[in-house]
Order: sequence, then structure tokens, then C-alpha cells
Amino acid sequence: MLEGTYTSLKIFFLTLLFSLPLGLLVARGRMSKYRVVSSLVNGYIMIMRGTPLILQLIFVYFAPYYIFGTSTDRFTAVIIAFVINYAAYFAEIYRGGIQSIAQGQIEASSVLGFSKVHTFTHIVMPQVVKTIMPSMGNEVITLVKDTALAQTIGVAELFRVAQNAAAREFSTTPIFIAGLFYFIMNGVVSKSFDLIEKKLDYYK
Amino acid sequence: MKKLLMVVTLAILTVSLLVAAGAKESKGDDSLEKVLAKGVFVMGLDDSFPPMGFRDENNEIVGFDIDLAKEVTKRLGVTLKVQPIDWNAKEQELNTGNIDCIWNGFTITPQRQAVINFSEPYVDNAQVAVVRKNSRYQTLADLAGQSIGLQAGSSAADAVNNNKKFAASVKEVIEVKDNLTALMDLEIGGVQAVVLDLFVAVDNITRSGKDFRILDEHLASEEYGVGFRKNDQALRDEVQRVLLAMAQDGTLAKISTTWFGEDITVVGK
Repeated sequence: MLEGTYTSLKIFFLTLLFSLPLGLLVARGRMSKYRVVSSLVNGYIMIMRGTPLILQLIFVYFAPYYIFGTSTDRFTAVIIAFVINYAAYFAEIYRGGIQSIAQGQIEASSVLGFSKVHTFTHIVMPQVVKTIMPSMGNEVITLVKDTALAQTIGVAELFRVAQNAAAREFSTTPIFIAGLFYFIMNGVVSKSFDLIEKKLDYYK
Repeated sequence: MKKLLMVVTLAILTVSLLVAAGAKESKGDDSLEKVLAKGVFVMGLDDSFPPMGFRDENNEIVGFDIDLAKEVTKRLGVTLKVQPIDWNAKEQELNTGNIDCIWNGFTITPQRQAVINFSEPYVDNAQVAVVRKNSRYQTLADLAGQSIGLQAGSSAADAVNNNKKFAASVKEVIEVKDNLTALMDLEIGGVQAVVLDLFVAVDNITRSGKDFRILDEHLASEEYGVGFRKNDQALRDEVQRVLLAMAQDGTLAKISTTWFGEDITVVGK
């Protein structure tokens, strides 16, 4: 079951690695003052949040063949599907955080002569990161459990391996062991988020 | 607080021990009476396993095995309940009593016989490899170094594992939820071959019209049986008796002909 655990962890970390920055980009797009950009991005978010992830997995893996005649490697397909799905959710969390910053602060920093980029990176983002941590924690915990969906397109992640072991040994024990893993993994995730939140709480 | 937790834990442990002990005591075989008293016989199956059991256009579960089970339950005087299950969890479904039997192109293997009470074989089957028609593969040896697909928890998985030489020669075995997904994977080139039951392969190729072919060399020959719980001897014997009667009066041959165009059953032969 170690190999399955490794695959699950790989899906988890790769998804975070790509979807966290992509989500920020999407959030900026969603708040763009250009109508075309914001409505396109809005459509993307609606599709990603409005359809099941399991369907998106099947689509990303199988659809390219019927449209272009080529297909991607199944693990790549899993990462693509997870990244575009989670980026949509992260984007909405970022947007909530960014919009919670009072407009007055941005005006003030412009009066003080800070550039737009500098305002965003040094004044807006540090506050956003603090406020969105709890919602981020929620989403990341869901991601740990969602990795079990990768088996839909034949990636042998932890839960598939556990189910196979259960079928082979005619026992449910491997499935409970897998459950324990997800539980421990999420324990680590929530503990880390607790620590980050404490660390960021520098005004108290 | 800690004390309370301890008391609750102890209580739960005691109750579960008592339940477990109680379950062990009632070892008498009342499996047949139970089904007759209930008036319902629950068959567990994978509802995406044509032509043995699958959903038709009206979303009804139909198939060769369904027709057999319908006839058996009619003769037993009970109603048939068709219960779709996750094929990978079939043993748990059976052991927890959610279903009375597994009846769905269920291959008899030594591993399964250790925990499941099988009927006599009713159909002869084989595990075959399906490849794309225009591919270069002619024998199992040609598949060395390639990815092959199959249904997780299926007897195809056992057949590949038991064929050590073949299992060692292939690059990887990709396991998916059902045969249809595996065959879709074959179509888009995700795998170079799919291992599955002969009848399922023939049926899929003729009905889907996809450009697949079956390798002449088989991985394993095997037999289908109906699977019951280890303790349910009476129920198993009764179903077996009815199947034999159906073979003798020609009903089995008739049902087989409507699905396969010939009599593929082996009961009483």
C-alpha cells in the first residue's frame, strides 16, 4: 500500500503546487475591469464548480482523443483535472479575501506613491493571506480525500490499492487502514494550518 | 470526562463482543427457509457486464444471468431482486448479508472457493486479450513491455496474476472500475490490450462495432458459477437442483440461444 500512498501524496502536492498560483490568476481575471475577461473567467469557474470532479477527470482523459485524436498520459490527466478544478475554488476564496480589503487602503497607498503592483504584493496580499487561511484549510482537507477519485481513470492511488488488497484477502482491514491514512494526513494538514494561522497572527 | 469516555468505550466493546458471539451461535443452516420466508431472493451483480447483466435503453437490468435467475426464482416461488453492487466490494456485500448470492459471470477460482460456496459450473468461459484491430499484436508474448487494462477485482486480474510469465512481461496493469472503461482506454491508446471474459469481449465487439479483435491465444480457461455464503449450503443446493431441472427440460438451452445463438451452458453435461 506504500506505493498507493506515494501516488496519493504526489497528486496532493502537485495539485497544490499548480492550483494555488493559478487560482490567484483566475481571481484577478474574475475581478478584471474588462467585461470579456471577467465573463470568460466567470464561465470557467461556473463549469468547474458546477460539474462533478469525477466527470471532469473522465473528460480530461478521454475527450482529447475524440476531439484531437491524441491522448494524454493518465497521471497527467489527473493532475490537469485536479488543478483546474481546485484553482476555481481557490480563486473564489482569494476573491473573497481581496474584496474584503477596504478601498480606502488602496487609495491611501496610491496617494503615498506606491505602484499598483507594490500595493497588491505588500499591502493587500499579506492581509488576504491572513483572512483566507481558514477557508483554505477546508479546501485542502477536501483535496486530500478527493485524491481517491483518481482511480476513475486507472491511477492506482491509495484507495484503489486498498480495495484491491481487500478483494484479494477477502477482508475490509486494508480499507480501514487507508481510512486511517487519510485521517492522519488531514491531521497533519489541519495542524499545519493552525501553526500558519498562529504565525500570521502578529498583531495580537 | 476521561472516565466517561472509558465507560462508553467499554460499553461499545461489550456490546460488539456479545453481538459477535450471538452471530456465531446461530450456525444452523436456515438459508433456504429464510429466503422462502422473505419471498425475496437478492442477486448481487455488476450492472455493466453485458451480456450477463447490464442496463438496457429503459434502464432495466437485463442479461443472460438475469433471465436464468428469473426462471430459478419463479420455480422457487419467490421474487427476484436484482441488486447492483461495486464489483470490488462483492465479498463484503455477500458476507454482510446485503445480497443472497453473486450471480453475474462469476468465475470460479481457487482463491474465491476458499471463502465462497460455489454452485456447479453452468458456463465455460475463457480469459482473453482484446487489442485494436490494426495493432501488431498476435500473441500474448507480443504484449511484452506494454500497458494492459482490466476491471479491478475481476477474474481477469486473477488470471493475469496467476500467469506469472505474462504478468512479469507487461509494463503495467491499469485497473479501472468496469470493462467498458477499460475498452474505452484501449480505444484511445491508453492501454495496448484489455483482458476480460470471452463472452463479454465477443458481445462488446459485435454490438459496439469498434475496431477491436481478440487474440487467439487465451490467458486462462475457466467456468462461471453462482456464489453463495460459505454457510448457506441449503440455498446453494436448492438453486443447483433447479438449474439441473432447467437443463433437463431444455429451458437453459433456450435462454442461452436467445443471448448467444447457441447453447453454451454446461449444467448436467
